[in-house]
This record gives sequence, structure tokens and C-alpha cells, in this order.
Amino acid sequence: MKYIMEMRRLRKSLEDTLVLKDIDLKVRLGEIMGLLGPSGSGKSTMLRCLNRIIEIDSGEIIYKGKDLKEFVPEELRKEVVLVPQESVMFFGTVFDNVAYGPSLQGEVDKKHILNCIKDAGLDPEFKDRDARKLSGGEKRRVALARALALKPEVLLLDEPTSGVDPKRKEKVEKSILRFSKKRDLTVLLVTHDVDQAKRVSDRIANLRNGRIKGVYESEEFEGGAAF
Amino acid sequence: MNWIPILTGVPYDFFEGLLILASVLSILVLVIILMVIKKLDITKELVFSIAKGSVQLFIIAGLLVLLFDMELWYLGIWGFLGMMVVISGHISAKRATKMPDAYKVTTPSILTGAGTVLAVLAVTGAMPITRPEFIIPLSGMAFGNSMRICSLCMERLISEVRQNRVEIETALSLGADSKEALRKHSDTSIKASLIPTLDNLKTLGIIFIPGAMSGLLMGGTAPEMAAIYQIIVYLMIVGGGAISTIMAMYLAERKVFNEMEQLREWVYS
Repeated sequence: MKYIMEMRRLRKSLEDTLVLKDIDLKVRLGEIMGLLGPSGSGKSTMLRCLNRIIEIDSGEIIYKGKDLKEFVPEELRKEVVLVPQESVMFFGTVFDNVAYGPSLQGEVDKKHILNCIKDAGLDPEFKDRDARKLSGGEKRRVALARALALKPEVLLLDEPTSGVDPKRKEKVEKSILRFSKKRDLTVLLVTHDVDQAKRVSDRIANLRNGRIKGVYESEEFEGGAAF
Repeated sequence: MNWIPILTGVPYDFFEGLLILASVLSILVLVIILMVIKKLDITKELVFSIAKGSVQLFIIAGLLVLLFDMELWYLGIWGFLGMMVVISGHISAKRATKMPDAYKVTTPSILTGAGTVLAVLAVTGAMPITRPEFIIPLSGMAFGNSMRICSLCMERLISEVRQNRVEIETALSLGADSKEALRKHSDTSIKASLIPTLDNLKTLGIIFIPGAMSGLLMGGTAPEMAAIYQIIVYLMIVGGGAISTIMAMYLAERKVFNEMEQLREWVYS
């Protein structure tokens, strides 16, 4: 079994509160791993540590066989891309937003950007729309497309369907399943929805109070084990 | 070119001036009566502020008398300028609430902005370097205004960063470096801090005659010369302010982000 990422005795405090307590977790290459847990269990903090938006206090994160600290943060964040819970749109059109990452590297491939918009479940016609005027669900999908445009190896999705109505939630889930398989992506998906975790993930890590309570194959995971 | 006029036009001496000042204090008495009638509880503060401001002005006047009489006045000037740099840097840093050691950003920024424009004034002859009566007030204007503009800029930057934390983190998460992630917010801060000065420029001479020109006119300078000097003063203010803010935003970047291109903890507090 090949692992792309491994967390070893990960600890992180926020404002004097220990949020992550000796996390040990291995993520398989190409899998969708659901991180399931109630609010405040440390799920989002864990994702933020994985692309070094914040720094861990102790422990190790091994990515592709190397300590995460050996990577230049800006370079790492192009490979391990975080889509935060709040989908903030930059000034400009949907196309401008999706092309944001590649434009920083001076490599905007129009066809690739349009493919990402499509893969995220949006009509390519959306490309000229003002990104800031979209609905919450549409912004979520633009945020997904924006992350995909970087051609990441690991995608960190923080509650990608929070605030999205049930019909659109299903669309977003289908998009995640579709593009992760198509692009052979490893996905860590934070959710507090047991059914969603089972529908989308290959495996589920159950978090409670900053600790991993167990890691399960998705089909073996029983709702009762959650929280 | 020795075209800069000497202020000799005030038609009374010091003691006559004090008598006139005492008479003009009747304005204060009138204001106090109005405050009492309106039951506005700021009389004490009003009297205190006027007294404090007056004492400060007499102190600075006394120091200037000493300085102008000194044989080695140019050494005293350096002391004055040094004091201006340190005080303006620390006052400006107070507006950058939460940011630790903000004076390390504001002090060099104000020094660079005010220093650059004063150097230009000295080289072009607009500020005669052998005349302390020009150097001190012009330096005061340059440092004071650079400080004011730098303070506005820092205050705006702090609020921009704290309010747009998620947007900045989103940019970082997509591979932007700290400069890129902060660019929009530092540009906004620079523009916002210069707007009051630019608005003043637009109304120059229409709504009010500004301080330097008023002083020169009262001193007997020809209006057209007073206007030229006022424009020089405004160029100095805008230039000093703009340079200070650009420098401040450059230095502030490392105060907002750490070396791992992460937002520093004070941003979250």
C-alpha cells in the first residue's frame, strides 16, 4: 500500500487550547479520505496544518516520503491545495478566479481552465460571470475549480457542501467523485455529515476532541461509531 | 535664488502681542458662556486643551529662540530632527494596534518619506540650508504630515488584514506569496491614507487659504510668491506621505507574515 501523506504524533494548540492531540494517520495515494467529527474536533485545523497555512507545534507530517518542512511553502501549496470552508471570491470573473493560481506562475491554459470549471460541475458559460455575485453553492464550485486549476496532487476540502441546499449538495459530491477519479487525486474531505462521508469517501477517519478514534473502510463504517 | 521672503510683517512686539492675546481670550470666555448655557460638559477639557497647546507653543518658541541664537545651530537642528523622527514613529505605531513593534515599520518609513522630500527641498533651494527658521518649520510639516498619512495607512492595513484574513489565506493556499496575497490590501491602504490630503489639494484656495500661504501673506509676502511656496509645501506633504506609506507597506509585509508565508498570530487575536 502506497501512502502519500503520513501524520505522526501531530500536536497543535490554538490560543492555549490543544486542538490536535497526537494525531497518527496515513493517507493512501489516490483515495478520498473523509475526516468526520463534530465542530471543534480539530478537522479544519488538521487541514490547515497539512498545507502549512499554520504550523504544527510538534510531530511530523511526511509528504511523498519527505518532511513537510523541507518543502518551500508556496511550492507545497500548489501541490497540496486547501479549499477553505468559506469560499471567498477574488475580484473579477469566474475565469479570472479559476485562473488565479496558474496566472501566478504565468501559465494560463484557457482550455484547462474551462475543463476545471466543467469538472467542478459548473456550466462553462459561467466563465464570464462576476464571481462575487454568484450564489453560495456556485461559489463553492468555483473554489473547487480554482483548486483543480493548479493540478494538485492532494486536495484538502473543508466542508465543501456546508450551506448548500440538498439538491446542489449532491451535485458537488458527484463532482468530487468524478474529478478525483479522473485526475487520480488524493482528497481529504472534512465533514460532520456521516452519510456524506460514507457516500463520498473510500475511508473514514473519525475525529473526536482532537484525537483519531478510528479509521474505517467506508462501507464498514457504522453511523453509530461517529462522534 | 534668494527669493524666499523673511517674515517681518507682524506689527507688534512680544509684550504687545501678549496683551493682544489676553484680549483675544475674550473669545474663549464667550465660548465658555455658550457651553454653560447649552449645558455641554466640555468646558474643562476646552480650557485644558487651550492651556496645554499654548504652553507647548511657548516652549517650542523658547527652544527656537535658543536655537536661532546658537552659533552651532546646525548641531541643534540634528537634535530637533532626531526628536521628530523618534516621536513621530512612536505616535504612528500606536495606530497599528495589535502589530508588535510597529515602530520598527513606522519610524524608518516616516524618516524615508520626510527625509527624501526635505533633501529635494534642500537641493533645489526651496529650503535654504543656512536658515534654521526655514528648516525647522518645514521639517515639522514634512514629519508631521508623513506621520499622519503613515498612521492612516497602518490603521487601514491592520483592519484590512484582520477583516480579509480568509481571502489572504485563500490566496496563500493557491500558491501566492505574501507580497501577492497582501498586494490588494496594501494598495487600498495607501490610497485611503492619501485621499484626505488629495481632497485638501482639490479645495486649495477655494474653501480655505492654507497655513503656509496664510503665514506668508500676513508676513507681507506677495500673494503670487506665497502661492508658489504653498504649492511647494503641498508637494512636500504629498510626496513625503506617499513615500512613507509605500515604505511602510513594504516593511509591514514581514510583520504580517512569518518566514513560512503564514499569517502571524496577532492577526488572529
